[in-house]
Amino acid sequence: MIKKFIRILLLSLWFGAITFPFTGIRNAILLSISIMASLILWNTLSKGIIKREGIEIVSKRIQTFSSKIPRRILALFFIFLFLILPLFMNNYFIDITNLTGIYIILALGLNVVVGLAGLLNLGFVAFYAIGAYSYAILSTQANFSFWASLPIVILLVGISGILLGFPALRLKGDYLAIVTLGFGEMTRLVLNNWDSVTKGPNGILNIAPPEVGSIVFREPIHYYYLILIFVILTTFAIKRINNSKIGRAWVAIREDEVAAEAMGIDTVRMKLLSFSFGAIWAGLGGVLFAAKMRFVSPESFTFFESVIILCMVILGGLGSIAGVILGTMILVLLPEALRGFEHYRMLALGAGLILMMVFKPEGILGGPRKRAELRPDDERIYMQEIETIKK
Amino acid sequence: MLKLENIYSSYGPIEALKGINIEIKEKEIVCLIGGNGAGKSTTLMTISGINRPKRGRILFEGKEIHNIPPHRIVEIGISQVPEGRRILPKLTVRENLEMGAFTRGKKETEKVLPWIYEIFPVLKEREKQAGGTLSGGEQQMLAIARALMAKPKLLLLDEPSLGLAPIIAGKIFKIIREINDKGVTVLLVEQNAKAALKLSHRGYVMETGRIVMEDSAESLLNDPGVRKAYLGE
Repeated sequence: MIKKFIRILLLSLWFGAITFPFTGIRNAILLSISIMASLILWNTLSKGIIKREGIEIVSKRIQTFSSKIPRRILALFFIFLFLILPLFMNNYFIDITNLTGIYIILALGLNVVVGLAGLLNLGFVAFYAIGAYSYAILSTQANFSFWASLPIVILLVGISGILLGFPALRLKGDYLAIVTLGFGEMTRLVLNNWDSVTKGPNGILNIAPPEVGSIVFREPIHYYYLILIFVILTTFAIKRINNSKIGRAWVAIREDEVAAEAMGIDTVRMKLLSFSFGAIWAGLGGVLFAAKMRFVSPESFTFFESVIILCMVILGGLGSIAGVILGTMILVLLPEALRGFEHYRMLALGAGLILMMVFKPEGILGGPRKRAELRPDDERIYMQEIETIKK
Repeated sequence: MLKLENIYSSYGPIEALKGINIEIKEKEIVCLIGGNGAGKSTTLMTISGINRPKRGRILFEGKEIHNIPPHRIVEIGISQVPEGRRILPKLTVRENLEMGAFTRGKKETEKVLPWIYEIFPVLKEREKQAGGTLSGGEQQMLAIARALMAKPKLLLLDEPSLGLAPIIAGKIFKIIREINDKGVTVLLVEQNAKAALKLSHRGYVMETGRIVMEDSAESLLNDPGVRKAYLGE
């Protein structure tokens, strides 16, 4: 208890100290106090009497209630909600929602590699870039339509996933992360310097918008429905593979590679598959991005993008599909919501992420399995939790 | 059934195996005994394909298998229970078992499960529990059961009694005998030489990467050299 209080005290002082140079002493003290107050409040609420007797009962009720509604009806309800949603939004919000959709596809793809197979990929943005540029080049130089390019681009990105996978396979953990990071930077540098094909830093202009019949996609609302379809498709596909034999093989490789090998899992093939399967969704996100912006340049594919996508996956909860979607929504919408803070918004975002990692490292919707990994001292409690869930 | 011919293996500059010859006949229990670093575990890893031999041949039912990757070895009918059990602690017992039958189809999994639960009634009781919550002995049973899920003809066991109380270890040895009675050939690596030899039909004694002795388990148990070096008498 005292330990926790000291932790809260130090955290708030630390935040005060780092914001002091920007905001002046008065604001820094106010910020420290407000962070301290909210943390204490949150801790007493979640750990104290209210949780045990109030929140727990409510959350159980919600759980039993939601388990009574068939999942299909729940899914249909959400699809319906998203279908009518843009009718109530202006173009600015639809545009942000479109961006969120693209990031959801990317984050779900990265979740396959990092969350399921446990391979840390810091160069994920490379596949996003390859997807976007492939469509841009096919569209401007070969006059391919959106729909004709899609399968070609996906094939290309899948192959590049395997190409990265081959040299990276013999590496583990941090070393793998460095190689993938290098791959991401390499791709960006090639795009920046291969003037004859990629037009260098100027980027490629006038990419053809998608067409269906005689309708040409121009308004944000058109893209909204296009992206919505692909988000649903991605979620469905990744959910299926999650529960399949391949998904379980990935989990086994993540948990214990030697055991996985002894069980007859072809670890080389499965790792390559996870790289290339994850890359496919990044490629799809890239095509959608290029089609929506109608312009691509190397600037959109910096290392920072890889980090943000990784943050989305981790914030929501590694390995959980709903968590990844939630994490993406937060990380795209929060900077927009924080626009009032002007140039402090990135600071506020960073602070939020740090608080999150200190108090809930498993992510917002991270399952008990992940929590057990991160907090081994509490392992037994969470193991029991798993059991009750399985029952 | 299994034949190792003049197997050499090394980790970098260190030679772990220097010309190993082992032969195992069908329905036998054969044990490998020897001190730490004698190359017992390396021998098992080499058979299961996780470790590639530098020289020599491995024959299984008359076919060369030393160039086959580990996942194919499991399909052919050799399953390994790795040292230290290596169950997946966050998956349930049932999920662990299903992972063991990875190379077989879903229908076969359903067929094998009752047979497994007959040998290991404890695991049926704990079916829905996370693997990490089992006791050491139960985890070892789970590891053996998981290997059996692939319906192997030959089972490789690496130190099944490691870190277990003597009574529990005895239980595990009894189970190994039972599995052997059901027609599975067993190659056993053990530090507990006495218990291993009592269980086995034949034994090999290894020292620094070489086989120094090979005999029926009974004569090894009575051999004065072995008694002195490995049975603590």
